[in-house]
Amino acid sequence: MELPLLDRALAGNEDAFCLTTAANPADGVVASLCGTGSDIALPPPPGPGEQYRFHFDMTKCIGCKCCVVACNEQNGNPADILWRRVGEIEGGIYPDTLRHYLSMGCNHCLEPTCMTGCPVDAYSKDGPTGIVRHSADICIGCQYCTWNCSYGVPQYNPERGVVGKCDMCYGRLTQGQHPACVSACPEGAIRIETVRIAEWREEYRIDANSPGMPSADDSLSTTRITIPGRLPHDLRKVDLNRLRPEHPHWPLVVMTVLTQLSVGAFTSIWLLEVFSAHAHRAAALIALLAAAVALSASTLHLGRPIHALRALKMWRRSWLSREVLLFTLFANAAAAYSAALWIHLPGTTFLGGLTVVFGICGVGASARLYLVPGRPAWKSPFTILEFYLTAVLLGSAGANILTGASPRTQAATIIAGLATLLVGGLKITWLARSEVHERRGAYSLLFTVLSNHLRLRFLLLSAGLLMLPFAQSRWTAVPIVLALIAGEFVSRYLFFVSVVPTNIATEYLSVEAA
Amino acid sequence: MNLLRWLAQKSGLDIRSAEYSYGEDPVLGFTSNRKHADRWVNSTCGYCSVGCGMQLGVREGKVVSVRGNPDHPVNLGKLCPKGLAEHYAIDANGRAKYPLLRKNGQLARIGWDVAIDTLVERFRKIQQKYGPESLGIVSTGQLVTEEFYALGKLVQLGFGTTNYDGNTTLCMSTAVAGYKRSFGSDGPPGAYEDLEVADVILLIGANIAENHPILCTRLEANSAKTLIVADPRVTKTAMMADVYLPVKPRSDLALINAILRILIDEELYNKEYVELHTTGFAELRASLAPYTVDYAASITGLSPELIRKTALLYGNAKAAFIGWTMGVNHSTKGTETVNAINNLALITQNIGRPGASPFSITGQCNAMGTREAGFSSGLPGYRKFESSEDREELARLWNLPVDRIPTKRGLAYPDIIEAAVSRKIRALWIIGTNPLVSFPNIDVLKHGLGNLDFLVVQDGFHPTPTTELADMVLPAAIWGEKEGTYTNSERRVSKVNAAVKPPGEARRDFDIFLAVAERLGCGKELFPGWRNPSDAFEEWRRVSTGRLCDYSGITYAALETAGGLQWPCPVGASTNPAAPRRLYTDGRFQTDDGRARLVPTQWAPFPEQPHPEFPLILNTGRTVEHWHTRTKTGGISILQRLSPRAWLEMNPVDAGKLGLKPHEHVDVISARGRVSKVELRITEIVAPGQIFLPFHFVESNANQITQSAFDPISREPNFKQCAVRVEKSSTAHA
Repeated sequence: MELPLLDRALAGNEDAFCLTTAANPADGVVASLCGTGSDIALPPPPGPGEQYRFHFDMTKCIGCKCCVVACNEQNGNPADILWRRVGEIEGGIYPDTLRHYLSMGCNHCLEPTCMTGCPVDAYSKDGPTGIVRHSADICIGCQYCTWNCSYGVPQYNPERGVVGKCDMCYGRLTQGQHPACVSACPEGAIRIETVRIAEWREEYRIDANSPGMPSADDSLSTTRITIPGRLPHDLRKVDLNRLRPEHPHWPLVVMTVLTQLSVGAFTSIWLLEVFSAHAHRAAALIALLAAAVALSASTLHLGRPIHALRALKMWRRSWLSREVLLFTLFANAAAAYSAALWIHLPGTTFLGGLTVVFGICGVGASARLYLVPGRPAWKSPFTILEFYLTAVLLGSAGANILTGASPRTQAATIIAGLATLLVGGLKITWLARSEVHERRGAYSLLFTVLSNHLRLRFLLLSAGLLMLPFAQSRWTAVPIVLALIAGEFVSRYLFFVSVVPTNIATEYLSVEAA
Repeated sequence: MNLLRWLAQKSGLDIRSAEYSYGEDPVLGFTSNRKHADRWVNSTCGYCSVGCGMQLGVREGKVVSVRGNPDHPVNLGKLCPKGLAEHYAIDANGRAKYPLLRKNGQLARIGWDVAIDTLVERFRKIQQKYGPESLGIVSTGQLVTEEFYALGKLVQLGFGTTNYDGNTTLCMSTAVAGYKRSFGSDGPPGAYEDLEVADVILLIGANIAENHPILCTRLEANSAKTLIVADPRVTKTAMMADVYLPVKPRSDLALINAILRILIDEELYNKEYVELHTTGFAELRASLAPYTVDYAASITGLSPELIRKTALLYGNAKAAFIGWTMGVNHSTKGTETVNAINNLALITQNIGRPGASPFSITGQCNAMGTREAGFSSGLPGYRKFESSEDREELARLWNLPVDRIPTKRGLAYPDIIEAAVSRKIRALWIIGTNPLVSFPNIDVLKHGLGNLDFLVVQDGFHPTPTTELADMVLPAAIWGEKEGTYTNSERRVSKVNAAVKPPGEARRDFDIFLAVAERLGCGKELFPGWRNPSDAFEEWRRVSTGRLCDYSGITYAALETAGGLQWPCPVGASTNPAAPRRLYTDGRFQTDDGRARLVPTQWAPFPEQPHPEFPLILNTGRTVEHWHTRTKTGGISILQRLSPRAWLEMNPVDAGKLGLKPHEHVDVISARGRVSKVELRITEIVAPGQIFLPFHFVESNANQITQSAFDPISREPNFKQCAVRVEKSSTAHA
C-alpha cells in the first residue's frame, strides 16, 4: 500500500497531511484490535527535524506480554515471529530483588544499520515520521539485516522468504489510530511521541540505553526508555546463561569456503603461470567450478533466489552488495582466464591478474560484511584474517598438487597453516578474555557443546600439515589437500554456529527444549 | 498446480502477499486482512474471573479475531494475552468432537442417543445397587450460570445424590467458607472501583500482575494509593508494591492477627461500628493475646517495625482494601485466614464503603456463578441446606414436595475422591475440569478413579489426561460456542454469546443436561418447557428474587446494553453499569441478627514442615500465558511460544549447595512422588529454602508431589507448601 504522506507533506498541503486527525472524539473511540487507547491522544505529526518514536516506561510494565500478542494479531504473523518482544531483567538479593521487563519493537534508529547494510534497498526511513519501513516486495530474503541490527529486530519469515519488522503500525498511525502494542498495554507503558532529531543525537545516551539492551551507539536508537530510579548494579538479562549454537547457514559455509578456495587456487595458478610458465588448464577449470558452485550455493541462502541479481544494487553502501559484485566480476574474469588458458589466447597473464585482483577484493568484501554490530564475535580483524588465511592455505595447498609438492609450495602451505593455527589460538584467547558477554559466550560454546567440532577442526588442520612433508607426488598431495579443505569447512561451520548475537533480554526459557 | 505454487514460493516469486496484506476495517482499524470479520459478537472472556467484555469477530463461520469491548465497564477494551489469543482455543487441536465409549479398552465413537442412554442406565444401575449417594459429580467454574443452575437441579433432584462439588473447591471454597462464617453469606462485598479509590491496598497471596492483569489497570489509575503486597515470592505484583512484605510461607495469619492486635491496642478501630454491627469482639480480643509484634515477627520473618508500619498504614487509611487469592485460599488454615482478613475489615469499618472491602479475587470466569446458583455447597441463591425456611421456599418455587430438597450438603471434591478410593463412590461424572493435572497428590486421585465402575468425562477437549481415563467422553461446546451469563469477582453478571457452532457433534453442556434429564424422566418436572439457557435464566431470576444475589432486575436485554450488571439487582434497580454496587453498605449482614461475626483464629505452622530428607518448601502457582491445566492454552501457539514449558525457581544459595547450574534439568521429589527433568531457574525471586514450580504443565506435573492436606472447613487443598528435595536429573533419557 502506498501512502503518499511524504508527497503531501512536501507539497506543503497542511490539510492533507493529517496523521492524527482521524482520531476524532466525535466518532467515539479509535478502532483497534485490542483496547481503545482512547484515553490518550496521538502526538501531533512530527514537524521538520522531528520524528516519531516509542516511549517505553519500565516502571509501569508488568511483563504481561499483551503487546506481544496484540502485535502478532495486528500483523497476522505466525507465533514464532515476534515483531515485539518482552524480555526480563533481574538483580538484587532476596527480598530486595528487582525484576523488570523490557518491551521492544523496532527502535526506528537515526542511523538504521538494517538499512545501511541492505543490498537491495528494501528499507527506507520515512520522511515525515522517521519510521524505518521495510518493503517485502523489494526484499530478497538475504537476512543480512538480521545480523546488522544489534537488537535483533528484523525477523526472517521462512514461509514468505522475506524479512519483516515493526513499522510502528505505520498504516494505523496514518489513519490516526494507535499502534497495536500501545492500544493493548493495560498499564499505558508504551506510547508514541515526537522527538527532535538534532537534540536526540546529542542526548540519546541518557534515555535510549537500558539494562538488558545492547548499546544505543550502534544505530542511534530513538526509543526513549524510562527506567526505575534505583537499580541494583547486578541487574542483568535473565537469559544470560542461555547459550545455544546459532543456525549454521550451510549455503554460506559452502559459499565462503569455496570462494576462498577458488580465489586461492586462481592466485596459485596465476603465480605458477607467471613464475614457472606453466598453464594449469585443468586446475583452472576445477577452480572455476568451485567458484560456480560457491555462487550457486549463495543463492540458496536467499529466501527469494530468483531475485538474486537485485543484490548488486546497493554497492555504494552495502558490503553485501560489494561482495556479490566483486565475486561476480571475479567469476567472469576467472571464466575468461580459464577459457583463454584452454584455447591458448594471448593476454592470459593479464586476465589471470585481473581474476586475482577481483578475487582478493571479493574475499575482503566477503569478510568485511561479517563485521556487524549484532555479532560481536565476528566484529574484529580476526574475521578478515581468517577468510584470507583460508584462501592462502587452500590456494597454496592446491599448488602442491600442481607442483608435485615442491619444497617451495610445501613451505608456503606450512607457513599458511601455522598462521591459521596461530590466528585460531589468538582468537580463542581474545574471545575468552573479552569483557563482551557475546564474545565470552562464543568461547563457552566452542569449549562446551561445540568442543568436538573444535577438536576435529584442529585435528584436520594439524594432520594435513604434519602429512605434507611426506607427500612425494601430486597424487599423494590430494588427500592432504582434502583434509585441509575439510578442516576449513569445519572451521567455517564453527564460525557461524558459535557466534552469540546481541539482543534485548528475552524470557528465561528458550522455545526449544534445552 | 501444487508443484507450481511450491516452485513459485521456493524461488521467491510468491511471497504470500495476499495472506500478509493489510486493510482498513471499520471495527479494527488498519490491520492484517486475516483478522477482518463479517460480524461481531459481544461476549465475556472465558478465562479468569476479572470478567472482561470481549467482541468476537466472525468470518465464514470462524472466529478470526477478538478484541476487548471498549464499552464494557470491567476492562474498557483491554485484554490480557490469553484473552487476546482466546479465539485460537476454538479451533485448537484436540477439541472433543464425538461421544466416545470405552469398548475392549479403547474409546470408540458412539452416537448421542447411545451416549445418553448409557450414561443414565449405568448411573441408575450403580445407584440402585450401591445407593443414590454412590454417584458423584465434579464440575467446574467454566460453565455458564444457566448450566450450573440446570446441572444442580439435575444432580440433586434428578439423580438424587448430594455428592456434587466443583473444581471451585480447589480454588475458592475457602473464600466462600470465610465469607459465610463472617457475614452469614458468600459474596465478595466490594467492587473493582475500590481499587481506584482506596488509599491503602493490601494484597495477600495475590499475584494479580500474573493472574488478573487487567485489574492492574485499576491500580495504575489510582496514583494516590499505597500498595502493600504480602507474598513469600517476589512476584511481578510484589514489584508493583510500595511496601513489600516478604513473609515466610503461610505466615499470613500471624501477620494479620498481629495487625489486629496493634489496631485494637492502639484503639485504631471503629468502636461504634464494632458495637453496632458485629458480635464476638471480646472473644476476638482475647484470642489475639499471643500475637505480639515480636511473636508475629518471629513467625513471618518480617521486622517488628515493618509489621507496625503495615498495621498503622491500614489502620489510618480512609479506605482500605484487602485483596487475596490462592496464597490465602490454598491452605489448611485458609478459612481462618479469610476470617482474620474479614475481622480486620470489620473492626476498621473497611467494608461497605467506596474503596473499602475484604475482597476475594476469584479464579475462574464463572466460579461465582456456580457459587450462586450451583446447588453444590449450598442451595441456589445462597440458601442454606440447614434452613427449613430456605428449603420450603425453594420447594414452593419449584413446585416440589419439600422432602425432595436435601437437608445437608454432600461430600466436597476431595472427599468424593476419598470416597472413590474407599469404593463408596462408584460412578463419577467429571464436567469441564482436568483433575489429573489440577488435583493434589494425583496418585491418590488415580487410585480413586481406577476404582470406579463408571467414569464419564464431559469436556471441550479430548484427549486430556483425564478424558484418557474415562469410560465415556461427552464432547462439549466451549466459550464462543454457547450462550448464558458469567458472574465476575465483583458480582457483575455479563452476557456470554455463541459466535460459532461447536465442532463435530459437540453439544452445549446445557443441551446435554436437558437430554440426560429427559432420559431420566425428570425433564418435564425440573426443566418444564426449557429449550435454551434463557429459560433457565428466567427461572433463576425468580429463584434469586429477594436473595443477596438478586438477579430479578437483570435481563439478557439489559446485559447486552449495559455490558454487565452487578447484583444485587432487584426489579426496578438501576441498570447503569457504571454505578458500583457494594454489599453491607448499611452494616446489616446475612446473619440471623444482622450482625457480622468476629471469628477468633489461631495461626499454626503448615502441615508438612521441611526436614533433612526433604529440606525445601515447594510453592506452586501460575504464569500469565497459561490457563490452569492448559487444555485451552496448550494448543495456542503464541502462548506456547511465550511460555513453552515448566521451570523451577531456586535461590542461588540452595543451587550453590546442590552444585546446580542455570538451565540444568532437575527432579523435584516429595514423599509422594517425583517431577522429572524440570529446567532450573536460579533466581532471587524466591527465598533460600523455597522453590517455585508452575502447576500448568502435565509434562512436569507439580501435583505429583503436592500433598493430600485440606482445610478442615472449606476442604480446599494445601497446594502452596510441602516439603521436597531437588536433585540433578540423571542424564539417561527417560
